[in-house]
Amino acid sequence: MSSVTSDDSADARTVRWRAGAGRVVAGTTLLTAVALLPWLSGTDPALTVLRARSADQDPTPAQLAAVREQLGLDEGPFTHLARWLGGLPRGDAGTSWVSGEPVLPEVTSAFAVSVTMMLGALVVTIAVAALISARTLYLGSRRALGQRRAGTGAAFLAALPKFLLASLLATVFGVWLGWFPSSGWAGPGSMVLPALALGVPSGAVIGGLLDQSLPATFHEPWVRTWHACGLSPGHIGLHALRGVLAGLLPQLLPTVVALVGGAVAVEKIFNIPGLGRLALDAAIAQDFPPLQTATLALVLLGVVAGLLIQALRRALLGPALRDGALSAPHPPALPRRRSTRRVAVFCALALVTLVVAGLLRDPLHVDTAARLLPPSAAHPLGTDALGRDLLARLGHGALRTAGLALAVTAVSIVTGLLLGMAGQVSAGLTEVMSTLPAVLVGLLTTAVTGPSVWGAACAVCLVGWTPYAAQAAALLEQERATGHILASISCGADSAHLLRHHLLPAVLPAVLRNAVLRLPTTVLVLASLGFLGLGEQPPTPEWGRLLSENQPYLELAPWTVLGPACALVLVSVLAVSGTASGRRGA
Amino acid sequence: MRPTCRGLAAALALTPFLAGCFVPGEGDSNTDANAASSGRLGIALAVPPAQALSPYSNDATVLSKLSVAEGLTALDQDGAAAPALAESWTRKDVTTWVFELRKAKFHDGTEVTAESVVNALDHANAAKTKPRVLSDVTLTAKAEDADTVTISTKTADPVLPLRLASPALGILAAKAYAQDGTVSPVGTGTGPFKITDLTGKTKAALDRFDDYWGGKAKASGIDVTWIADGTARANALRAGEVHIAEWIPTAQAELLDQDTRHEVPSVRTDSLVLNTAGGIFADESLRAAAREAVDGSALVDSVFGGYADPAQGLFGPAVPWAADKRVEVTGRATAATTDQVKSKTQGTTLRLATYTNRAELPEAATVLQQQLEKAGFTVQQDVREYTQMEADLLAGRYDALVFSRVTLLDTGDAVAYLASDFTSSGVYNIAGVKDSGVDQAITSAAEEGDTAQRQQKIMRAEAEILRTGAIVPLVHEKVVQGISTDVEGVLLDPRERSLVNVDTHLK
Repeated sequence: MSSVTSDDSADARTVRWRAGAGRVVAGTTLLTAVALLPWLSGTDPALTVLRARSADQDPTPAQLAAVREQLGLDEGPFTHLARWLGGLPRGDAGTSWVSGEPVLPEVTSAFAVSVTMMLGALVVTIAVAALISARTLYLGSRRALGQRRAGTGAAFLAALPKFLLASLLATVFGVWLGWFPSSGWAGPGSMVLPALALGVPSGAVIGGLLDQSLPATFHEPWVRTWHACGLSPGHIGLHALRGVLAGLLPQLLPTVVALVGGAVAVEKIFNIPGLGRLALDAAIAQDFPPLQTATLALVLLGVVAGLLIQALRRALLGPALRDGALSAPHPPALPRRRSTRRVAVFCALALVTLVVAGLLRDPLHVDTAARLLPPSAAHPLGTDALGRDLLARLGHGALRTAGLALAVTAVSIVTGLLLGMAGQVSAGLTEVMSTLPAVLVGLLTTAVTGPSVWGAACAVCLVGWTPYAAQAAALLEQERATGHILASISCGADSAHLLRHHLLPAVLPAVLRNAVLRLPTTVLVLASLGFLGLGEQPPTPEWGRLLSENQPYLELAPWTVLGPACALVLVSVLAVSGTASGRRGA
Repeated sequence: MRPTCRGLAAALALTPFLAGCFVPGEGDSNTDANAASSGRLGIALAVPPAQALSPYSNDATVLSKLSVAEGLTALDQDGAAAPALAESWTRKDVTTWVFELRKAKFHDGTEVTAESVVNALDHANAAKTKPRVLSDVTLTAKAEDADTVTISTKTADPVLPLRLASPALGILAAKAYAQDGTVSPVGTGTGPFKITDLTGKTKAALDRFDDYWGGKAKASGIDVTWIADGTARANALRAGEVHIAEWIPTAQAELLDQDTRHEVPSVRTDSLVLNTAGGIFADESLRAAAREAVDGSALVDSVFGGYADPAQGLFGPAVPWAADKRVEVTGRATAATTDQVKSKTQGTTLRLATYTNRAELPEAATVLQQQLEKAGFTVQQDVREYTQMEADLLAGRYDALVFSRVTLLDTGDAVAYLASDFTSSGVYNIAGVKDSGVDQAITSAAEEGDTAQRQQKIMRAEAEILRTGAIVPLVHEKVVQGISTDVEGVLLDPRERSLVNVDTHLK
């Protein structure tokens, strides 16, 4: 690790060089992996391309040979990669294997659509985050923060599945009220509903993190001084926000920018011709040129957004970052709100009741006569389309769902921390992986693991670490630039000591809070890979699957999704309030 | 702060530019208001174009659904060949047919001549991946004079007129066929509607073609939107954004108004295919046990919400002649009892596969799993996207498959389906059937020229196939088409080949 603060420009250049090299290596590795997909997957690309062109086509050896010859599949992955790369400088990204149309115009328009949608979601994210943290900001800037809040509201919103929100919005505002188009992408009006569906949960995550970090900043000595000097609360609030935002900005990359490629479900529901669907269709058909071009677009987007965010952070923190003159915010020992504990106890009791009651019932028994029954004494949460008892399915799915999600989260946190500590070298990897859709990684993983639960876990771990790495890297950078670290170093502390006593304690709680807010997302992402054969096979009950398999019945039988959605919210709120009441006066 | 300010300014300057990134042509997309006044139909189709509407791909059916392209012949209600671009035809000898063309114009203004027909058929013959309809036949077309075409086949082909009705063999103007082998129907068809604009995989605009030989279409044009998600399609219809939405999923059908919901029996049959080539179902008595355990009628009201008929055989009510000519199945193996099943399988799990592309299939698999478990089998499901598992299926790495299949393919003739799926040399023989009785029955049906006799022989082949126990028909699907009450004259076609024609219009 390079020395903590350095005005030495040569050193700075090394860091920048390393960061650049990291980005190039990460991007190249990813593109190569994608290029190998048709050859790694064990599924003949000629067959998938033929299917994509014409579903009823008989896969005769002659037809497959014709496709193979037409596309030059026998030349191997590297020839194709080289040809594709060679065309890029000329603005030629090849032609699609399936449609025979030039790829670049198609990818460019899909990219533009997705970026527009993402910007809309960004506006909503900022608005929601502002609403969530407004109270803390108001009170904090007036030095009136009395109690620590658990952030249950944020946890509630963060646990709402985006595809469910999208279906709900399309039905209510598109069909019932007719305020906005129910689908399509034909003008600013069609942007509203997708932006809300994507932005609200993202805003809740960002807002929750903001709300939790603000009290520590307001506890810093300068706030007292400024307040005593009679500076306006607005001034103090703005200054505090500046410091906190610098640590949070990198979260926008995996949370919002990633929506460009990772909002497939919402794109489907609103019929938006975005990049996520294009990449997924290309990946399933093993249509190499569009898939490769879409991946490149996402990689470049990640890197550009990463650099932009970094520049913004530097600007927010100012020279203090370089000069090691930041102060270290540590959370104040505010009294816990008693309601937090009550909420936690309530959620825990509700969940335990749910699980115990569910475990006593049969989750697999199909009774076609009892289709979509509303909640009753016999079926307290109603039945699904096959007449299975939803309470039983929830209860039986709880342990499996929570266990897998927690394991994946734990691995992601550790990976994230390790890579976050590696500093600038890993920044490129973080940026590149942040914008990569989990489905794409899932396809690459199935090629290696085959369809299994472990495949799903691996795939989600491979992308799941990015928020934590981004957060750890940002917080570590800020922490290293504080006065007390400088003091420790001058007192002769070695890096192990620094890590154990200063850096980790400063970073870990924030990362854990982040992980808790993202737990429901992890459950849903795990389930979203089901169609690749990754994850538990049906009819095994699992919460993510319960939500996605009942999504079509949202309007006809709302209870089929209400139960699982509430359970997810309960877990999320429990995790947040539980950790909040568990953290004893730090 | 200065660099950030500049960056921010740049980002803000970009925003209006990006906000312009909507699908082009949004100016005329206020379908509801504009369309109603101008008499344009708004249609939501389900399967986005794979190859820019090339007739040699999946997209061919779009061309016939929207009456853009026509072949020499068309299929009538009963599935017999009817005149289209050819006014009449005669069979000169076993392998030669003579077609007399009618006076018609292409959308680009050129005349339909024998030369243009020959050109179109030659291109279809030479296409890199041959259209399915030509997979088992080679056509040679020759222009006799300006409006007479002779078509000969290598071997006798009794269903040639049916074959020529296939959307893949639509006749397009010479300029449709590009040097590189791509085919574009934009402005090159002969039907009552011409495509004026195709926007990627999202939209297409069609105008009425005034010089259509069959008279002017009543609707002034069509705005097509492709919406892959079934719920979104239903929403678009309910919100009044389109007038017609095809393939409404079961879960959404009940949300539509009674008078906008139209059921059409479909030629699609869902079955349980058993792998006879290896694994537990190589044993005939276990196949019989599975057949007796499985009850497709349980799926009708539950999984399909009433939009299906219990299976009668391979061919359902959408094939009108099937019921009368059905042959009773004899010589089936005796089913193993539950105890025998248990001892024979010895706890070997039955791998029950199905795919997610059709939403009902995974649900059906779960119901079947319970039925099979009652009969003593131990079942493990394997559910994936179709392309993710096709290779496994063709290699026989499964025991049972819940499978949805169109029984009348491009030819409109059932033999093509039977031959590819059940003969020992069939390329799509997932069940791995190798049975000389089945082979003989299918071959004799394929060689039969007389329509009634051919249908009878097809039904005999069906009985032979069912005797082997390789396939257990479950249900015959029904398609729900969503049609707004403002529209009249929409065609409800079991073969899903037609939807809109000259007479379809807004009230």
